[in-house]
Amino acid sequence: MPDPSFAAQQELHALYASHHSWLRDWLRKKLGNSADAADLAHDTFIRLMVGRDLTAINEPRAYLTRVAKGILINWYQRQALERAYLDALAVLPEQKAPSPEQHHLILETLHEIDTLLDRLPRPVKRAFLLSQIEGMKYDAIATELGVSLITVKRYMKQAFLQCLTLMEVQV
Amino acid sequence: MKAMAPIDPRILDQAADWLMQLHGNAASDTDREACARWRQLSPEHARAWARAEMLMNKLGGLPPLLAMPSLDRPSNPARRAAIGKLALLLAVTPIGFAGWRLIEVQDWTADHRTAVGQRRELALADGTQLHLNTASAVDIRFDAEQRLIYLREGEILIRTAPDTATTYRPLRVQTAQGRLEALGTFFSVRQEAGRSHLAVIEGAVRIEPRDSIASQEIIRAGQQGFFSAHSIAPITAGNETDLAWTEGMLMADNMRLGDFVTELARYRGGFMRCDPAVADIRVSGAFPLSDTDRALTMLVATYPVTATTRLRGYWVTICGITRR
Repeated sequence: MPDPSFAAQQELHALYASHHSWLRDWLRKKLGNSADAADLAHDTFIRLMVGRDLTAINEPRAYLTRVAKGILINWYQRQALERAYLDALAVLPEQKAPSPEQHHLILETLHEIDTLLDRLPRPVKRAFLLSQIEGMKYDAIATELGVSLITVKRYMKQAFLQCLTLMEVQV
Repeated sequence: MKAMAPIDPRILDQAADWLMQLHGNAASDTDREACARWRQLSPEHARAWARAEMLMNKLGGLPPLLAMPSLDRPSNPARRAAIGKLALLLAVTPIGFAGWRLIEVQDWTADHRTAVGQRRELALADGTQLHLNTASAVDIRFDAEQRLIYLREGEILIRTAPDTATTYRPLRVQTAQGRLEALGTFFSVRQEAGRSHLAVIEGAVRIEPRDSIASQEIIRAGQQGFFSAHSIAPITAGNETDLAWTEGMLMADNMRLGDFVTELARYRGGFMRCDPAVADIRVSGAFPLSDTDRALTMLVATYPVTATTRLRGYWVTICGITRR
């Protein structure tokens, strides 16, 4: 990633000045709350800063909306994950509950994995989780999902490949 | 952060193939050696495998009870839309969450309790000695009719005293599966998931399963047994090592490693998991319960296993030494 040059910084400032307020309003309408909207608008510009060449953006509004949508989806996903996590935590015996410090580590890792597995077909994701989280063997997974062993292997390969490929972007 | 060139998709494809194969039922040492040779083919192969290992480390560090419901949640657009409205609720989570936990943990009102790894001795009003093991909770209800000890969770050791009340009041222990009546005695009771365990050291104790009065049985000194709400399992000879906890020790005598790990986990917060591949290894020795880290160190020094600790000790996996 090239260091933002002076010209690029000027470009970003200009973009921020003319687009930040409508973007924040747009996000507020989507979210129904202004604090999160402000955060996500901020994140959108951060993404631009570390992203591509700003001078190459022809239609800033369309481009900003697209980036903001991606951030919004990611944010929804994080909320859904945290909610499911809290649900799971609520039924866990007290002495099994992680400390606040451990919560943070677990949630961060869960979010990373969640993002990697996003958009995998449901049975593929499920086979992968049964194997990698529950520690089930492939033949047991085949029985559980009602598919053949060879299908489970194909699912596993597909999920591993998607993770490895997407880690390119994350790392 | 300097961006590196992307890894060749064909190499990633092969790495995914190896991961799939090595997690299969039939993966052998030969497969693992072949994979080791593969990743030495070029620096790019090594890079791809480093990424694969990073993925495995992340996945391996996740406790299933939390990870499975979080990651395997239903995902549909309608739900996603609803989640937007939840944003406000989530913003106040820290407070709401604390209250929620208190309601969830049923034993928070227990009269006496011990934390994980803690032991405690109590003298009750009638002189009965009560010893609470790790993660245990009891309620004490003495009235004109009886002396009742309600074991909500965990394990207790009881040495009864002759009652000082003028009229005789039986001493009883209530568990989720039934009631025990002490007949002048020294005994221990343990609440497990779905069953209770009784071991009698001196005297005798009568078991009354909750849903089956007909199957009452008297257990005598030196005997032990499990019971459910409906029935009593065959009574067997007691094992003196079962009481080693009162000395702060876990005594293993040819104990399955799987059982050993389950036992040790009672004295430690978080989770411990034993790889099924090594669960049948037999373990013997005396291990300190007050310092489970030390007990683990002793275990891996003596047996062909390793203990992998993740998430600052929250998650411990015991597996064979040949595994990665």
